[in-house]
Amino acid sequence: MSANGWAIHAQGLTKRYGSLVAVDHVDLEVPAGSVFGLLGPNGAGKTTIIKVLTGLSDITEGTAHVAGYDVRRDPMHVKQRVGWVAAEVILDDDLSGWENLWLQAKLERLSDWKGRAEQLLAYFELTDRRKDKVGTYSTGMRKKMEIALALLHQPEVIFMDEPTIGLDANVRRMLWELITGVNKQFGVTVLLTSHYIEEADVLCDRVAIIDHGRFVATGTPSELKGRVKADFVEIETSEALDPARLRAIAGVTDVRSQGNAWILRVGSAEEALPRLFHALQTDRIRRINVEKPSLESVFIDITGKRIEQAGSDVQDYRKFYLNVRRARR
Amino acid sequence: MTTANPTVTLRATVPVRADGRVGQFSQFSGLYARELLKTFRNPWVIVITLVQPFMWLAFFGGMLSQVSSAQLDEFLLHAPAGTSYLSFLLPGVLSTGMMSIGMFGAMSTIQDKRFGFMKRILITPTSKATVYLTKALGSATRGLVQIPVMIAAATAFGVTLHGSPLAWAAWILGLVLLGLGFSALFLAITSSSTDWQTPGVISNFITMPLMFASGAMFPASIYPPWMRAIADVNPVGFSAQLSRSVLTYGQFTGTDLTYLGYLGLFALVMILAGTALASRYLKVE
Ligand SMILES: Nc1ncnc2c1ncn2[C@@H]1O[C@H](COP(=O)(O)OP(=O)(O)OP(=O)(O)O)[C@@H](O)[C@H]1O
Ligand SMILES: [Mg+2]
Repeated sequence: MSANGWAIHAQGLTKRYGSLVAVDHVDLEVPAGSVFGLLGPNGAGKTTIIKVLTGLSDITEGTAHVAGYDVRRDPMHVKQRVGWVAAEVILDDDLSGWENLWLQAKLERLSDWKGRAEQLLAYFELTDRRKDKVGTYSTGMRKKMEIALALLHQPEVIFMDEPTIGLDANVRRMLWELITGVNKQFGVTVLLTSHYIEEADVLCDRVAIIDHGRFVATGTPSELKGRVKADFVEIETSEALDPARLRAIAGVTDVRSQGNAWILRVGSAEEALPRLFHALQTDRIRRINVEKPSLESVFIDITGKRIEQAGSDVQDYRKFYLNVRRARR
Repeated sequence: MTTANPTVTLRATVPVRADGRVGQFSQFSGLYARELLKTFRNPWVIVITLVQPFMWLAFFGGMLSQVSSAQLDEFLLHAPAGTSYLSFLLPGVLSTGMMSIGMFGAMSTIQDKRFGFMKRILITPTSKATVYLTKALGSATRGLVQIPVMIAAATAFGVTLHGSPLAWAAWILGLVLLGLGFSALFLAITSSSTDWQTPGVISNFITMPLMFASGAMFPASIYPPWMRAIADVNPVGFSAQLSRSVLTYGQFTGTDLTYLGYLGLFALVMILAGTALASRYLKVE
């Protein structure tokens, strides 16, 4: 652990792919033993941050220390101390579950790993499938296997890229407990990325909201929520709508469009809704959604967009399965 | 969830911090074993590795089997009486086969990049050089499968093989070195690529010319000067000469020792240069 108490400390961290700036001068301070969340929409740069912090990808500019070592100067020391859970679930499908653990132990140079591997298998309820090729595992089993691999060498810092994407509610809750458990019992620092507002809210001590490679807000979930002194009303109508009419409604302080929907910033949704219904013909309203202060409304407040698009779960699943399919064949 | 208290379960599993780390050879042996497991568990890999040289013998050998022995004698030069074209061809085909297996190592590396497994490897304290060396060694090992099958097939086609056990050891060592050298070469060239097509393209640029300008299929003495110039520095040719000397003519001369030394040098240079290149340019994805 780093002497000054940071498990992860980065300054001006920047990653460019050609002319595209995937991560743009990010400052990151994650205290040892905490859970830190990166929350942001697709393409915001969350995965890229993990790649540069773990030494998988070269840092274009800036400095980063992880688990007390300089990522640029001592990448091998960093790698010995970090665990990683990829969003797309990366396993060797031609090998069995046990062989995947064995290979991981070899790569981490562990001498005494079998007992721990057995316990991880038992914990994830994979013991009776240990001899089957992981290519025959279900999506959830694969994800659990991947997390078992990440925990095998007892990392000091664990990076989890969308750890619960595509999992059913039970497994998701089990993973939440696991993440909290690993963090609280053993002081393992966790950096996770998520699209799920609720997940970041429940799990993280601190959250950074990221958009276009930049941190647009950082703080504890309640600090961030406290920052937004407004509610948001998202409204979708069947016909084109003149934004001036929306702006004219008393209590509406801002109007932004997103796709075919409008996002209104209002003092209090309870007071604004009746006026809104009065101003618009109600039968033209196709959908209406109220966002009380949440991490989502923090993001809306700053960027004018939602992190979780309407129906985003569907998209997430599609992306997830595409990734899994790609990884499989 | 059936585990009543997961945190307690996990705590019980965590010994004092993992200082019990073993040496770097663990990464090498793990990755090399993975290459072997993946190869020998996949029936198609085996089929392809075996069928290709067998086809050479059957079609190429079959085509020329009707040529009169007088013509062949003139063609094959100094061959002991009764040497068939097949027995001339077998050593050449084995050498050519060892060259082309390099392509499989390159393909499996690109597969690892494509499916993200290279990330899983390189997020652990494993060096790119280790990844590179295990791929090269795995690929060369895979080429060795051809040897027993080819010999069995050749015997079935009526070829008589010569050579003492020691000469055979030298011959096989030569093949291993050739396979290592070319695996190292292919892997180095493709280390920064993620495209499925690259190994095939490169293979056509390297394998074809080196195969024909090697003396593996026909005696180099019939080549025009420019092809003979290639044959003079072509490791495939050296291996073919060495193999032919042992298998077909039953000798192992000082020249053959030179060939062996040359093959060793070829493998060494390729591995050293390739390791340096891959350490820098091996792409993660
Ligand atoms: N290897 C690469 N080459 C070029 N561009 C890349 C590469 N990897 C990522 N990018 C780009 O960097 C940006 C950030 O990508 P990143 O994968 O970090 O986003 P993300 O926040 O993880 O998104 P998601 O929620 O969809 O996973 C994107 O615009 C992406 O296209
Ligand atoms: Mg991502």
